[in-house]
Amino acid sequence: MAAPLSVEEADAVNFMSELNPIGSHEPVNILMVDDQPGKLLSYEAILGPLGENLLKANSGREALEHLLKTDVAVVLMDVSMPDMDGFQLAEMIREHPRFRKTAIIFISGVHLTDTDRLKGYERGAVDYISVPIIPDLLRAKVSVFAELHRKNRQLEKLNRELEQRVAERTEELRESESQFRSLANSIPQLAWMTHADGSIFWYNQRWYDYTGTTLEEVKNWGWKSVHHPDHLDEVIRKFQHCIATGEPWEDTFPLRGKDGNFRWFLSRALPIHDVSGKIVRWFGTNTDITDRKQAEEALVKSERLAAMGRLAGIIAHEINNPLEAISNAFYLLHDHPSLDEEARYYSRLAEEELARITHITKQTLSFYRESQQPMAVSLSEILDNVVELQSRKLQLNRIILKKDFRTAGTIHGFSVELKQVFLNIITNAVQAMPDGGELQLDLIESRDWKTGQGGLRVSICDTGNGIDSHNSKKIFEPFFSTKEAKGTGLGLWISKGIIQKYGGNIRFRTMRFKKGNVTCFSVFIPGNAVAESAHLASALSA
Amino acid sequence: MTNRKPMILCVDDEENPLVLRKLVLEKAGYQVATVHSAAEALRVMDTQPIDLVVSDHLMPGVTGVELAQAVKARYPKMPIILISGVNDIPTDADTADAFLSKVEGPDRLCREVAALLRAAVRNRAASSDTSL
Repeated sequence: MAAPLSVEEADAVNFMSELNPIGSHEPVNILMVDDQPGKLLSYEAILGPLGENLLKANSGREALEHLLKTDVAVVLMDVSMPDMDGFQLAEMIREHPRFRKTAIIFISGVHLTDTDRLKGYERGAVDYISVPIIPDLLRAKVSVFAELHRKNRQLEKLNRELEQRVAERTEELRESESQFRSLANSIPQLAWMTHADGSIFWYNQRWYDYTGTTLEEVKNWGWKSVHHPDHLDEVIRKFQHCIATGEPWEDTFPLRGKDGNFRWFLSRALPIHDVSGKIVRWFGTNTDITDRKQAEEALVKSERLAAMGRLAGIIAHEINNPLEAISNAFYLLHDHPSLDEEARYYSRLAEEELARITHITKQTLSFYRESQQPMAVSLSEILDNVVELQSRKLQLNRIILKKDFRTAGTIHGFSVELKQVFLNIITNAVQAMPDGGELQLDLIESRDWKTGQGGLRVSICDTGNGIDSHNSKKIFEPFFSTKEAKGTGLGLWISKGIIQKYGGNIRFRTMRFKKGNVTCFSVFIPGNAVAESAHLASALSA
Repeated sequence: MTNRKPMILCVDDEENPLVLRKLVLEKAGYQVATVHSAAEALRVMDTQPIDLVVSDHLMPGVTGVELAQAVKARYPKMPIILISGVNDIPTDADTADAFLSKVEGPDRLCREVAALLRAAVRNRAASSDTSL
């Protein structure tokens, strides 16, 4: 009787037959060992129909030779053989690790006691067959072990394939992990991953580069430290809402860089689900939108300026047209023979007030511009030109003019607006010296006091009354004037706007000496200044 | 050359400014004809001698600059002054001999007119000299 298969073996056979489709029956080797060739022939006849490879050995030595050369599924051996009996052979086979699982079936010609059988099993036998041999029984037993061997081999093969596949997948994973890291580090965004509860466990390199933090400082909820306190509560509220609901997260807020400055980021995070649909982590990015935000703001500003320009154009037209008519009317009226003294007085008052309106529209709504493009203009020529315009007043006020121009002072710009700047400052200087004095004009190549940038400096100094310290903060404000009804209070404000447009600045100070005061205005224009198209709006925006 | 007063043609679509400009120029010693459009101006110039044109720039239909181009095409030596109330100078404003802001006032206008008329007389004298 064949030893019944254990439950595990039977399961394994069933499992393997599922793995191994019918038709893939690969023959296994069956080694038959007997010192009598006749018996070997009879075994061959019995086992032939199984379709396996039958190997024959006449001795234990010959059997071992076969075993070393080939993979043997079943060894069928006679217990009693002359040089080495079956038990000895079985022991030798079992000692070799390769054959530890090779099935050994003993054929015994004599009646064996249970002790003998036990001895055989201890040596590694799996079954006994007694003579006379019943062919069907032998065939059935060998067939079971051959099949078992075959399935074992297949299982081993499958195992090897599985191991290979695991190794490949591991390598793929490692590669994909490394690809993910390099991708995550190469994108322009800051990127991070959180556990399902929203606590962050990973940031890309760019995050660390921007914030100057370490993982220790910002992991879990440590990222709060780089947020702006004004925005933090709202950011956390929205983020926690998404963590709780699983909705994609999007928010815009500032993050502090390692330089201490905040930049604006558009931030998004998406939940990552496992196969069951459960959220296992969140993947998030922060995109720097500071430049975009600034561009949008600049666009809004330039649109506002353009709108102001259009408005100024309309106002200019609507004011200047009637202004001309009124001016002409008063011009005709003021020495008209029909007017008596009183009417003439009224007319003169009206004409003076009209002059104020004309002056202010000339200052603010003036269309003066020689060309659409800035041109090379010489500051020394402009200054000479302005002084020329003031020469009569200088004479009347007994003002001594001193000029020291060390350069032609050529820059790119609009000469009329630059003329306006210097005319405003020089007119103020002249008006500050009603009883005479000295006007000193200097033009030199210089550097900005603050930035060290090279450029041109014009200084205009007078020996007039000086500017009171309580006025010094206000003189560049619109509608500030010390000249009461005579001034519009716009001159220095407009001048400052024009010079700022060239990237320059105007400063002043009054120095008080025993002999008198000296007030100096210093106008600095960078050497590479190229003014944008001159426009009222830019003056108004200053 | 007769000793008659120079004849100035004033062009403006608005009545009040036109009349006042005419009066200012008459006070300055000129004869003045007035019209309300560029088309009328060209018709008048074909029928009577004009020494100088003063035109508003921004008028419905044909602008001052376009009028200046048309006038210069027919009478290349005709002096033209454009006056404008808007704060943008058109790119081809230099077709005219002068482009003034309306806020410059009557004195400035009269100075420009006088200067251009003097220049025109000088030009005529120079060309008659060479023709001798």
